[in-house]
Amino acid sequence: MSSGLGRSLSRSDTLLLVVCLVLSFAALLLPSRWALGFAASVRATALAPMVWLQQNAEVQRTSRLQLKAIAASRDSAALAAQSLTALRTENTQLRGLLALKQRVIFPTLAAEVLHQTAATDGRTLLLSAGTRDGVQVGNPVVSPDGLMGLVVSAEPFSSVAMTWAHPDFAASAVTENGSVLGIVAPAINTSASNAFLELRGVPYRDTVAVGTLVMTSGLTGVYPKGIPIGRVRGIRREEMGWERVYHVSPLANPGLVSHVLVYLAREFRPVAPGRREPVR
Amino acid sequence: MTISRRDRRSRVGVVIALLVAGHFYVRPWIENRIAPDLLLLAMLIVAMRSRPGIGAVVGFVTGLASDVLTPARFGSGALAHTVVGYLAAWGRAVFFPDNLLVNAGLFAAATWVRTLLVLLASGASPAELAGTLLVWAPIQSVTTALAGVIVVMLFRNWLAIRLDE
Repeated sequence: MSSGLGRSLSRSDTLLLVVCLVLSFAALLLPSRWALGFAASVRATALAPMVWLQQNAEVQRTSRLQLKAIAASRDSAALAAQSLTALRTENTQLRGLLALKQRVIFPTLAAEVLHQTAATDGRTLLLSAGTRDGVQVGNPVVSPDGLMGLVVSAEPFSSVAMTWAHPDFAASAVTENGSVLGIVAPAINTSASNAFLELRGVPYRDTVAVGTLVMTSGLTGVYPKGIPIGRVRGIRREEMGWERVYHVSPLANPGLVSHVLVYLAREFRPVAPGRREPVR
Repeated sequence: MTISRRDRRSRVGVVIALLVAGHFYVRPWIENRIAPDLLLLAMLIVAMRSRPGIGAVVGFVTGLASDVLTPARFGSGALAHTVVGYLAAWGRAVFFPDNLLVNAGLFAAATWVRTLLVLLASGASPAELAGTLLVWAPIQSVTTALAGVIVVMLFRNWLAIRLDE
């Protein structure tokens, strides 16, 4: 009798395991859009109190532990801003001379990064700002060091950003002097502690010096022009004698960042060479 | 004095609630890559007190919560936690005695195996796999095991864990 009961319990255990495994595999095979939608709805409902709790912890941690760092950063920013008035005046005069439109200042929003314990944290980041703050899917995300990624899912009180470490990330890029264009994407087969990017599609005839700053080009309209991405560390490989792929060290580290800025414009379409306007 | 089953369950519920609250409120104060995974710890405590099937279900729910918060590869957390929850409940029933060191070892091994499975299901490259499994996962396993030992020591009466001397 007891042995029969044991067998039935064992069968029910195996059945529950199989059901959970099947559901897990089904979740793995879900199209990314559905998965992000489902995740957003659960974050906005069942997990909302947990996200709220972590947001509060992050705010308190920042206000207590990072006060000195923030004060130092503010002092540096104040120092750098002293020369800003003269530069702005000079820029306005030059733009007037060349009959260019005024430079567009894109609105931004600061958000805390709510890090998780999963090993894949860093490929996506949970942010403390959501649609209630004006965040939308497609908004670029930057850190004080450089480009971080873009928002892929947004709900009222939080959002998820895909970072440059995600395999699906790609951005149109240009060197700081504007001479070389290419596509920046994460390098495969790198360790998490030494993740880096690749600048792909550089014609064989063009050479990029080690140490050159690579920035967003603004050509695809996804990211505004001029956000620093990383620095060239050397040639990674050559493709059949017609293209070079460069090794780029990213400036921003998604695993360590605690705060980011979200650009509240969604598209940055090129109007004419040298001019960029956001489309809301 | 005997404690009713209902009281015991509510005490375990309190411990789990404390761990979940700690995961979202206390853990952010610690450096993320070495912080203990209190959510996994809560899952393991429930799984170790349950049948393997229930352990798998609790693992699946915990993994789904992890996927919702880190949707880099949705479903990888659910798969990893399901396997770990089932194995923890089954292993606890078949092999493990009530011993503090054995409990700590189980917490550490579960954390490391969970990370391994999440990375495998996420399609991590061999280099990323090696870097994480040899450096960060062992550190997180140790901190999670330490947190687990503290929880077991503090709440062993509530969790009805009889530790061998």
